[in-house]
Amino acid sequence: MPSLSSRLTLPVFFLAVLAIFCLIAPNFASAGNFENLMAGYAFIGILAIGQSFPILLRGIDLSVGAILALVGMCIFDLSLMFGVPGWAILPLALLVGTLAGVVNGLMVTVLRLSPFIATLASLAAYRGLVYAISGRQLVPELSTKPITDRWITGFETYFDLTRVLGLKGVVKLPWVPLSFLILLGTLLVFHVLLAHTRFGRDLYAIGGNPEAARLAGIKVGRLTVAAYAISGLCAAIAAILLVARLTTSTEGLGEGIELTAIAAAVIGGFSLTGGTGRLLGSVIGTFLLGIVLIGLTQMGISPFVQQILTGLILLVAVGNDRLQTLRADRQRARALGEVPA
Amino acid sequence: MAHHDDDQPMTGRRAVLKALTLAPAAAAGASAGMFGSIDVKTGRPIMTRAAAQDGERVKMAFIQWMPHTVPNAWSQGIAEVLGTQNVIDYELLDGQGKVEVQVSLMDTLINDGTSVIFLQPIDSVALAPSIAKAKREGIAVITLNIDATEPHAAHVEMNHYYGAMEIARVMGEKMGGAGKVAILNAPPGIIIRDQRTNGFVEGMAKHHPGIEIVADQVADWDRKKAQDVLNTILAATPDLGGVYGVNDSMALGAVDVAKEKGLLGKMVIFGNDGEKDALASIEASELTGTQYTDVFQQGRFAAAAATVLATGLVSADAFGQQGRVLMPYLIATADNVGQIQPNQRW
Repeated sequence: MPSLSSRLTLPVFFLAVLAIFCLIAPNFASAGNFENLMAGYAFIGILAIGQSFPILLRGIDLSVGAILALVGMCIFDLSLMFGVPGWAILPLALLVGTLAGVVNGLMVTVLRLSPFIATLASLAAYRGLVYAISGRQLVPELSTKPITDRWITGFETYFDLTRVLGLKGVVKLPWVPLSFLILLGTLLVFHVLLAHTRFGRDLYAIGGNPEAARLAGIKVGRLTVAAYAISGLCAAIAAILLVARLTTSTEGLGEGIELTAIAAAVIGGFSLTGGTGRLLGSVIGTFLLGIVLIGLTQMGISPFVQQILTGLILLVAVGNDRLQTLRADRQRARALGEVPA
Repeated sequence: MAHHDDDQPMTGRRAVLKALTLAPAAAAGASAGMFGSIDVKTGRPIMTRAAAQDGERVKMAFIQWMPHTVPNAWSQGIAEVLGTQNVIDYELLDGQGKVEVQVSLMDTLINDGTSVIFLQPIDSVALAPSIAKAKREGIAVITLNIDATEPHAAHVEMNHYYGAMEIARVMGEKMGGAGKVAILNAPPGIIIRDQRTNGFVEGMAKHHPGIEIVADQVADWDRKKAQDVLNTILAATPDLGGVYGVNDSMALGAVDVAKEKGLLGKMVIFGNDGEKDALASIEASELTGTQYTDVFQQGRFAAAAATVLATGLVSADAFGQQGRVLMPYLIATADNVGQIQPNQRW
């Protein structure tokens, strides 16, 4: 269990960065900006939550961007090519994403492929499948037609927080996007699952030491598949939110977004060596990246410098993770009397 | 000014010269209300968000698809015109080839008090909600090359379809009206890919029905990938007589292969865009030709309209109809490439 100080490091750093941009970036501290931040990064936060599960098990899911595109294209095809109503599309979309995750999990457990190779292969395969089933190619005139089904576009809804709290005329608060509330709901559900159930404790145990977990009777294979399934499910939820925001889907949707999700999870405290991390950290990591990118854009900083800074933040997070691991190893060694105090 | 449907292809120097005259015409059209409207009660132009309060600086930004010679040249043309105004702050933003990034940048610019957004949309539908949001805030959006389904202030594009038809006509003539051709294509899902491909295919069918298109392979806009793809095609079709790359990078990849296999002069190779490396390759008698567009000028047209919209008391939120500029072009070959001046090469 990490110490209180190490658990507070990220939230304090996040608040410090937020405060700095509020002070120096023009128009940053505005209701509209926070609304954009919530709407623009909610789906990435959900992807980061999903990505946290394979990372917790010393794995990785490189295919989340491709799963997102696959689910997005399924929604596009079902809605525009086949006229399926949105209420029927939504469960199908979640099912497609979850199944894609299950396939990843089976490749890792049954075929015993390394998670990197397995999900790299599925990244290519799922992306290829997106092109193969693309309604935009099969029926080209659909490529300029938006999805209008309210069951889907309804996810791009905003709530007037100022009015709800009865603060009209007192303060202008950002409108809260439904996608952000869904992010909070997803966080709550999976946090409870991870922190307060046997399932979650077993996942931490597998991430800490898979062999010891197996010897302790934990169904390592089954839980590994479940972790990748959750990652796929989260990609499906993210796809629904993104399609609602764009009113369409494209073959290239979510390309490269797996790296952002991985970065958010690592910045949030999930160690690539497995066994540690909290989902709230992944969400904070997501919004930290969002704040930096939006703030630097508003300051007119070159996009190339933005990418360098994002890389540096990731480097600091990984460096911090490495330091924590080394410190823990040293403390363990001291406790065992292998190193002089 | 021309609409896509009724425009006819132009060739030769006249087309390039005409392009030079269109920038002031674009500005004049805009100032005459083409991109805006007049308040019917007062008879005065409706003001945009930015329309010029004294001493206030005006923000404009260009969200490109991703860094590439074409948007870089647009941006140079835009910056050149806006730089003369002295009240405009301009920045170039990178969409990283991702619709979700472009949407996020649009949101940021809308919130940041930007007056005019130049946009090279990755997708015509996906950016439409963001454009609608910008319009609600009184922000003028000017698209470059790829149109959006949501009507907006203006659209300035290369003549993809008719230019590709004209490439097919000239290429067919160079091939003597017979032989086999391969297309090195972009990945699917992009409108300009379809326009450049369909124009070429239909142009061949119309002007040179004796020429057979034997391959249409994706080479990802990329020179190296084009080399690999063409090597594969040549293995299956050693008597290939011509290659059309839907951009110059892929056509130059085909030139690399032709050099390596001793096919230079035996194979007719055309590109599309007209970047300076392609023009140099034509002058070196390697690349047969390309569709040249003065991309600096395209950026200047967009900037001229933007300047009027932002500082000329013309409305951005009540457009009667979307302004549209279709760029003139030149099918550049060894016969006429010398007409393109150094300062027109990008």
